[in-house]
Amino acid sequence: MKQSITIGSAELSNPVLTASGTFGYGLEFQEFFDVGRLGAICTKGLSLEPRLGNRPTRIAETPAGMLNAIGLANVGVEAFCTEKLPKLQDQGVTVVANIFASTTKDFVAIAERLARESGVLALELNVSCPNVSEGGIEFGKNPNMCAELTAATKAATDTPIWVKMSPEAPSIIAVAQACEDAGAEAITAINTIRGMRIDIAKRQPVLARGMGGFSGPSLKPVALRIVYELAASIGIPIIAIGGISTTEDALEFLFAGASAIQVGTASFIDPLAAHHVRVGIENYCEAHQLNASDLIGLAQAAKK
Amino acid sequence: MKKLITAPLLDREEIGAGYHVLTFDAPDSPAAAPGQFLMMRATSWGDAPLLPRPMSYLSGGDKPQVLIKVIGEGTARMATAQPGEEYSLLGPLGKTWPESTLGKTPILVAGGVGVAPLVFLARRFQAQGVQPVVLYGGRTDQDLPLSDLLDSIADLHVTTEDGSRGDKGRVTGPLMSMLNDSVEIFTCGPDRMMAAVATIAQERQVPCQASLEAPMACGFGVCLGCPVMKTSGEYLYTCVDGPCVNAADIDWNADQ
Ligand SMILES: Cc1cc2nc3c(=O)[nH]c(=O)nc-3n(C[C@H](O)[C@H](O)[C@H](O)COP(=O)(O)OP(=O)(O)OC[C@H]3O[C@@H](n4cnc5c(N)ncnc54)[C@H](O)[C@@H]3O)c2cc1C
Ligand SMILES: Cc1cc2nc3c(=O)[nH]c(=O)nc-3n(C[C@H](O)[C@H](O)[C@H](O)COP(=O)(O)O)c2cc1C
Ligand code: FES
Repeated sequence: MKQSITIGSAELSNPVLTASGTFGYGLEFQEFFDVGRLGAICTKGLSLEPRLGNRPTRIAETPAGMLNAIGLANVGVEAFCTEKLPKLQDQGVTVVANIFASTTKDFVAIAERLARESGVLALELNVSCPNVSEGGIEFGKNPNMCAELTAATKAATDTPIWVKMSPEAPSIIAVAQACEDAGAEAITAINTIRGMRIDIAKRQPVLARGMGGFSGPSLKPVALRIVYELAASIGIPIIAIGGISTTEDALEFLFAGASAIQVGTASFIDPLAAHHVRVGIENYCEAHQLNASDLIGLAQAAKK
Repeated sequence: MKKLITAPLLDREEIGAGYHVLTFDAPDSPAAAPGQFLMMRATSWGDAPLLPRPMSYLSGGDKPQVLIKVIGEGTARMATAQPGEEYSLLGPLGKTWPESTLGKTPILVAGGVGVAPLVFLARRFQAQGVQPVVLYGGRTDQDLPLSDLLDSIADLHVTTEDGSRGDKGRVTGPLMSMLNDSVEIFTCGPDRMMAAVATIAQERQVPCQASLEAPMACGFGVCLGCPVMKTSGEYLYTCVDGPCVNAADIDWNADQ
């Protein structure tokens, strides 16, 4: 059955992507499976200049989940374009660039730099990172700021703009609608929720930054609820993220109304997780004689 | 090259208070070298504990072994694992101990469970016809797993903080008296011990390799969860740039 999915002006070979920050720059996984077979990979968040990231401790485990406060350590957009992107293209990997800045001006500069390269399918604007002091999540909570940012980056590039939602926005629906109106081609949801752990022996937070982004299987019900609500409220496609480890998890999100999904933290537990989910969806489609696009929104009340 | 395999536990041997040696039946296991590690978790863990745990290879081959010390949930489960239980093993990961400099006498400085990658290294030296010196420190004589094994393949010196075995005190005491132009150090143990060893090595201009520990989620360079500060002011990532590093490159005073 047909696995291809349309996301705005972009065509994906299948609905399985990998989530930013959990898949490196994609190349690290080639030893495990052919990453080019995935719908796309989302890169680690790219900033205008390289970033060192936060002090350790950066990660901690929670029940069926984890916390991270990486602080967007990355090689910077220039090194990405010259060192990583050519290799990804050689290996036939479809690339979504996840980008981050603390000002609209810098978001635009990154978008302009990436526009000079071919082979970037879309830009995913990270307006929802909980782990940096400036920008990030403050953008993501505010519909007007998000709309303005979407419009500004869209004007700077022909590459489609996707905007990644923070689950902490007072109204995610308002933010997503504002992005849609401003020309975003898709909404990706969700980024992590802020959480923390405290070390009993040391009587201090485990993470050096105090709090970090909460991800993994235990995030799934919250992400699913948000995707379900968004799907009923916006017209552009939704790409779902949050605790997806298995084919069954992915199907829940597609039925909730997502057009595609991203595998995140699960890749740390099983580097082949995204590959297994892709094959699993394909098998499900064969067994039920459905195209992947037929799965979208099957559980939405309006469709019943 | 790293590989993800599923392998049944062949044997678990309890070797004293809270220490266990786990042996896996893994005929398709890729070759591992001393100092490398694997990320491991039992299939039966489900979603919790979630992340695989980094463990050094105690030995490689098709029956790879690890030495574990019970710390928390994951290691507690490993300590009750039964033969036949399935584990996913991702390895070999990270940088190995470098080959020793020709003609130098290796001094292996171990603390507690940090002994595992050094036992593997001592075996490599033994195979090369070199007898290493091993300085092995623990709080008490209960904290010296595998010391008998080491005694049979190396020139072993033991220290305990309470004096219950060997010299009373820390490994740094005897280490000082052994340093000269013809030795080099390989160390793995608690951070404070390695920092002290690295400082002494630096002062006496003796080459020193250290195997680092950091919390890890992925083990192969993608989560960026395992940074350690270098003297250059940049981070290295323990899982790919280490765990074995030149001790002189590390900022042992950085708060980490
Ligand atoms: C490269 C590498 C090699 C290692 N080799 C070995 C080995 O051969 N044998 C062995 O027993 N252990 C080894 N460790 C340490 C081992 O990974 C941890 O002890 C283990 O992950 C703890 O898991 P847990 O679920 O039992 O404890 P958790 O529940 O994860 O943690 C319990 C407590 O221990 C603390 N903790 C977590 N990780 C560490 C750590 N790395 N060191 C000290 N405290 C920690 C946590 O902060 C928490 O407070 C190695 C670590 C690394 C990075
Ligand atoms: C270690 C780590 C690093 C992350 N880095 C980024 C990032 O750079 N940019 C971003 O938009 N999201 C980042 N995320 C969030 C994920 O892309 C994803 O939205 C989130 O983890 C929820 O999905 P999951 O539960 O499947 O992991 C990161 C997540 C983790 C665990
Ligand atoms: S453990 Fe993930 S980058 Fe080192």
